Amino acid sequence: MGKAEYKVEGGKLVRAQVWLSGKMIQKVKLTGDFFIHPEVFLDELEVALQGCMLDEKVLTYFIRDFAAKNHVILLGVSPEDFARCIVMAGEA
Amino acid sequence: MMREEWRLIDTGVHDAYYNMALDEAIVIAKSRGLVPVTLRLFRWAPSAVSIGYFQSMEDEVDVNVCKQMGVDCVRRRTGGGAVYHDTEGELTYSLIIEEENPLVSVDFQKTYETLCAGLVRGLQLLGVSAAFKPINDIVVDGRKISGNAQTRSMKVVHQHGTILRTVNPTRMFSLLKISNEKIRDKMIRSAEERVTSVNRILQRNVSFEELKTAVIRGFEEAFNLTLKPAKLTVFEKKLALKLAVEKYSSSAWNYKR
Repeated sequence: MGKAEYKVEGGKLVRAQVWLSGKMIQKVKLTGDFFIHPEVFLDELEVALQGCMLDEKVLTYFIRDFAAKNHVILLGVSPEDFARCIVMAGEA
Repeated sequence: MMREEWRLIDTGVHDAYYNMALDEAIVIAKSRGLVPVTLRLFRWAPSAVSIGYFQSMEDEVDVNVCKQMGVDCVRRRTGGGAVYHDTEGELTYSLIIEEENPLVSVDFQKTYETLCAGLVRGLQLLGVSAAFKPINDIVVDGRKISGNAQTRSMKVVHQHGTILRTVNPTRMFSLLKISNEKIRDKMIRSAEERVTSVNRILQRNVSFEELKTAVIRGFEEAFNLTLKPAKLTVFEKKLALKLAVEKYSSSAWNYKR
């Protein structure tokens, strides 16, 4: 398991814990002082990320698409921030 | 035309679990049409640390130190960061309002600004030159004096936040986990520069009664309405106790991330 924390521009902090199988995400846990509406989206995103490749561009696209499909609003954090932190944790 | 009336509830001093439970109970009562728009004022005893909905208690809070110091730890139903709620240092408010109210925008950022106008006005009435700062803060000369957090569910907007009467960064950082102990002093100094309080700005001891009166008038003036003091409904009281026991004081909730 790898851990990382990433300070987002604007001051919020994202933390990620990532369990990998090769370059594939087995499990991911995201925490931090950001806002997501509706809140339940983060649990759903963590499940959806299982099986994704550990690639910043792919993860950014996936998270942005997932958020748009679910009409999710992110405040203080972006899909890029989550993706970057997940990759940092995976490579830690 | 009669001025719009909101309900004003001063719930005084309670522990962290009941405080968070009562917020949710009022939201549920509002969603069922049982109560009007409500402004709640409250304080915390024992003093407490609350963490944001998406934070990890283990990562953010030194739970052992909190236990030793008799400080409660609770997860909020809103996002944002860890907050130390001092019994003597903070007045807390909650605003529970229907999503379709004209004061509420689909834009969260805009809604923060609109709803914070009551607090900004209240602080100004005290002589504190407060201003809203995106995303969700109120500042005086760039220093934070109030932090706010919002969530929406069941067609109800719930915004709660702090108003600092006094501030003690040393105590706050003794309760929070710092990834690198060497930077603890630096963080305390930094917080002393970034955060301020009503007492510090006005250079006098402002009582909670004076602070509450100003906040109430601030909301009334900002939104051109009357805040009518009222009591909690039996539904809210019962539900709050149930949520305090079953949810907000449970490990399942507080350690869920």
